[in-house]
Amino acid sequence: MRLPDLVRTTSFRLTLLSLALFAAAAAAFLFYIYIATAGEVTQRADEEVGREISSLETVYARAGQAGVNQALIERTIGERPYFYLLMDPAAKPISGNIAATPVEPATSEARSSFRVTETDPDGAIRRRASWGRQVRLPKGELLFVGVDIGEGQGYVLRIVRATWGAGVLVLILGLAAGLLVSRNVSRSLLGLKRAVAAVESGDLHARAPVRGVGDEYDELASGMNAMLDRVERLMGGLRHAGDAIAHDLRSPLTRLRSRLEAALIEVDNGRADPTESLIQALEDTDGVLKTFNAVLAISRLQAAGQVPNPQLFDPAELCSGLAELYQPLCEDKGLAFSAEFSKGLQVRGDRDFAGQAMANLLDNAIKYTPSGGAVMLRVRRRSSGEVECSVTDTGPGVPIEERPRIVQRFVRLENSRSQPGTGLGLSLVQAVAEAHGGRLDIDDGPGFVQGAAGQGGGPGLRTALVFPEPTSA
Amino acid sequence: MRILIMEDDVSAAEAIIKGLADAGHEATHAPDGEAGLEAARGGGFDVLVVDRMMPKVDGLTAVSSLRREGDSTPVLFLSALGEIDDRVTGLKAGADDYLVKPFAFAELIARVEALCRRKDTGGQATLLKVGDLELDLLARTVHRAGVEIDLQPREFQLLEFLMRHAGRSVTRTMLLEKVWEYHFDPQTNVIDVHISRLRSKIDKGFDRPMLQTVRGAGYRLDA
Repeated sequence: MRLPDLVRTTSFRLTLLSLALFAAAAAAFLFYIYIATAGEVTQRADEEVGREISSLETVYARAGQAGVNQALIERTIGERPYFYLLMDPAAKPISGNIAATPVEPATSEARSSFRVTETDPDGAIRRRASWGRQVRLPKGELLFVGVDIGEGQGYVLRIVRATWGAGVLVLILGLAAGLLVSRNVSRSLLGLKRAVAAVESGDLHARAPVRGVGDEYDELASGMNAMLDRVERLMGGLRHAGDAIAHDLRSPLTRLRSRLEAALIEVDNGRADPTESLIQALEDTDGVLKTFNAVLAISRLQAAGQVPNPQLFDPAELCSGLAELYQPLCEDKGLAFSAEFSKGLQVRGDRDFAGQAMANLLDNAIKYTPSGGAVMLRVRRRSSGEVECSVTDTGPGVPIEERPRIVQRFVRLENSRSQPGTGLGLSLVQAVAEAHGGRLDIDDGPGFVQGAAGQGGGPGLRTALVFPEPTSA
Repeated sequence: MRILIMEDDVSAAEAIIKGLADAGHEATHAPDGEAGLEAARGGGFDVLVVDRMMPKVDGLTAVSSLRREGDSTPVLFLSALGEIDDRVTGLKAGADDYLVKPFAFAELIARVEALCRRKDTGGQATLLKVGDLELDLLARTVHRAGVEIDLQPREFQLLEFLMRHAGRSVTRTMLLEKVWEYHFDPQTNVIDVHISRLRSKIDKGFDRPMLQTVRGAGYRLDA
């Protein structure tokens, strides 16, 4: 990635922003330190000056102006860094090591910061910051004492300069870090961008690389991959359904066509009554329509991802109606039918679709359970809060490895081909379950049942439409 | 009976008109919603058969306008396989029944006749009579030729529906929808079992069976 591109990235801009915030905070902090340190230097100078003045006042009290004069002479000879000036009440200098008081007006008692100009031994002229205080002595003379604070101030200045240097360094490092971070982010996103571009140009197999470090880019990439998996699966499902419809409808349509043709020939020849052929043709057409309707219902549920107008309803009430509808059919087939409903349950969804799904499960159980077996319809609440509507039979069951297949569209197990059916019943149940946020559970039935086993019974099958707990009851 | 067909598919409409004519009904065709509304406002129809998707004014709008204007002529909605909540929307708009295309012709005729009949017998009779069969809605009893017949509650409802549509075919889907109030396809013909139980109760021991199976259509109760 070229540099200008890098500078445009969000991460770089964010780095700059945080850098600016950090710099502002640091500047405020350093300004506070400067004020505090500079104040400290002046305060220390003031204390020193105060001590010197009170020492000279003691001398004055003991020996008067002459004593102070003497003390000043002694003190200015030493290497002490003080400035002294003793003045008469009109501020006319008497003695000291500076020519005039820096205090304005000259006769007042005040503190003052000032500068002294001095010449180095090597001839350079330097102005040094100083601090002083002027007091009036008991007999009216004025005494000024000052001290050179240049050293302390110089120290503060050095700190300030060092701070500026550090600031510049921080800025440079920050910019470099910003560039690095944005380059890193851009690199992490590159895989995602490539995958998106590939999918956009039609390659649904493209996936974003997951680096395995488990960061948010990995999360994004695996989320996107999961999404693409689902899209691909759905597309595959559609393609499969299309192929399957074509395959499944070709034979009944062919049959239909030949029946109609045969009927026509019969009529032309005046040989036979074509009614039988026409009735057969009608039945074939109904079968084709049934398949169409089931495929469409499944597709719409899958496309919508939810049922239209979901409403709260009592699954026990729905199932007891179904029990009443199907019980005579069971009895006619020699199956023992029983039902067990928990009262007061509610699920949110579409009553018609749920009813269709349960009818499909009951239909399967009745179709595949041999005479002498039993079918049980049950509605109960699981301890997880889910509500399940289950159909248990004592029929041949479905081997565990076949179970994932039987919910696929148009998949019919070998031994079921002799029975009528579209091969879409369980697919529709599954689609209904998913549209309700639930699922279709397929488990073993009650095992080999005595009596039933002797008549070709099996381990049985238990299919359950599981609804999630309704969130707002 | 006079029936108005609002349908933009001309060949479908022709087939419907011919079928209804064969069944002894007089049908008029309107090729779009606008013409349909005009014809319907002219009055004189026993049933309106309305396609949902039509040019100019769609079926839903046409039916809701008629209902707003106070027209209560029974309406049967026709719809190509559309959205899943089609039926509910259609009934909300004021349709009395709903049929999804493609449909069995027997289904259409049975439903149209059921709607006409509904208009005929607007009053609520408490005693239904078909031939020597009597059904008392208040006492919840059924007699045939004076002999009391014991029916389960659902069998009673089933017989009531058949008697209200006596002499006309009713389809299995109609029975499932109107008697059981289920709007789905039960795959196997569960209805047949219920019918055969009912038949064994009302026809057993009598010379002349009343409950007929109509091939390709459903059932019919004859006097």
